[in-house]
Amino acid sequence: MKTRLRRALVTPLVDENPVTLHILGICSAVAITNSLYSALVMSAALTAVLCFSSVVISVIRRHLPHSVRIIVQVTVIASAVIVVDEMLQAFAPTTSQILSVFVGLIITNCIVLGRAEAFAAHNPPGVSLLDALGNGLGFSLILCTVATIRELFGSGGLLGREIFTSAAAGGWFEPVGLFLLPPSAFFIIGGIVWLIRSYKPQQREQAEFEIIATDSVRNR
Amino acid sequence: MDNESPAKAILVVTVTALLCSILVSSAAVFLQPLQKAYADIERIRYLVQLSGLVDSDADLSEFAIVSAYQDVTPRLIDLETGSFDQNLDPQSFEDPDTADELQQLVSIPAELDSARLELRPRWISVYQVETDSALPRLIFPIYGQGMWSTIYGYLALEGDLNTIADVVFYEHEETAGIGDQIQRPAWLVGWRGKKLYDEQGQLQFDIGSIDVDSPEYDYRVDGIAGATVTVDGVADLVRYWFGPHGYAPFISRFDAGQER
Ligand SMILES: Cc1cc2nc3c(=O)[nH]c(=O)nc-3n(C[C@H](O)[C@H](O)[C@H](O)COP(=O)(O)O)c2cc1C
Repeated sequence: MKTRLRRALVTPLVDENPVTLHILGICSAVAITNSLYSALVMSAALTAVLCFSSVVISVIRRHLPHSVRIIVQVTVIASAVIVVDEMLQAFAPTTSQILSVFVGLIITNCIVLGRAEAFAAHNPPGVSLLDALGNGLGFSLILCTVATIRELFGSGGLLGREIFTSAAAGGWFEPVGLFLLPPSAFFIIGGIVWLIRSYKPQQREQAEFEIIATDSVRNR
Repeated sequence: MDNESPAKAILVVTVTALLCSILVSSAAVFLQPLQKAYADIERIRYLVQLSGLVDSDADLSEFAIVSAYQDVTPRLIDLETGSFDQNLDPQSFEDPDTADELQQLVSIPAELDSARLELRPRWISVYQVETDSALPRLIFPIYGQGMWSTIYGYLALEGDLNTIADVVFYEHEETAGIGDQIQRPAWLVGWRGKKLYDEQGQLQFDIGSIDVDSPEYDYRVDGIAGATVTVDGVADLVRYWFGPHGYAPFISRFDAGQER
């Protein structure tokens, strides 16, 4: 039992990471990782929503008619997201402005509905909570790694504090503007996926199709 | 009850919807005072930035905002007479309880209602910047319909009450990434130095790109590609507020050399 709980919490960190293995939640991972601070807030928001919705859905799982389960799950998730959004607007208004629509878009983050449908709908609340926490932390881990790289090389600092003195201020560091643009997050996430899959080859996906050279190619 | 029966489905959905709506609305109700208080600070921050008393691009501490705001005085305009109202206290219009009793809503004639407001208050607070200058800046509240929502802003005029000193839009629900570009500092900077009225006192202000050599260039602010609907709304609301049903009667009194 204990190992099962630990597994639910630990495997989503690297072995079954929602971002790098399932390639979910890429939209927010690309959009708000240009500073570590917004990545941290986003991570906390998503983890909170995920834990809340997983527990609620797990509690009512035996009373969920199959035909309406997705509607009910989305309603629970959407309510949690709105509450988190309202709280951010009240307690961290500046951050809420920076994250703008992306907090609201947690509703469409596939990790949340994915865990509800795949795990919480079939498991008791305790282990569902750990699974949600694990997946939230797995998402956070990738988000914060990407954001650290982007902020450090894009603006020479972390959490708004200067780490590399920029050339403009008499130092040696030339900020790389590309890192502040969304595409850089794609390259970095791609790099992380590649690193993890080289180290853990079992994560590599089987090719769905075999590429067969056709006659026309062969004859060329 | 059978889990797959229609009755159960309806029951579960209804109960979930009910509980979730209670959760969401209580969050909204309990958090609203905090959100409102923050919005007030933000509004003051914008007023201070428009006042010209501080470097408008600086990142100000709350203390710096509050202390600069001491030199920004709200003054009440009676839009019916087009003059300052010396008898009423602007403060009583800031407080929602007394404001409801005092304020009169005036309906806007359809042909003048370019901001699509239908009603506007009779008294409105403008903000006078206290400086040594004889002709201080005046900050005017402006608002009106954009594409999806009402856009709220402030427009600061130089002492001549014609040249735009600065402008902000502090509240709206336009699409993030499209309509919300009206808050981009780089765009707002383009308003500075533009004029509202020509020599004859005609309102000439408009938004949309135009040739530098054109005589209308001094009255034109650049548009924003891809957000034309929102920007047209902004132009219309400025034209309403500085038109005959808005501040124009008030402003023309000063051209006639009236004392402030
Ligand atoms: C979902 C959606 C949201 C939009 N939001 C806005 C908006 O907030 N403001 C706006 O001016 N245009 C918005 N548009 C675009 C307008 O429909 C219109 O295409 C645009 O204002 C035209 O500008 P243009 O003539 O400069 O291309 C939106 C379009 C879509 C599809």
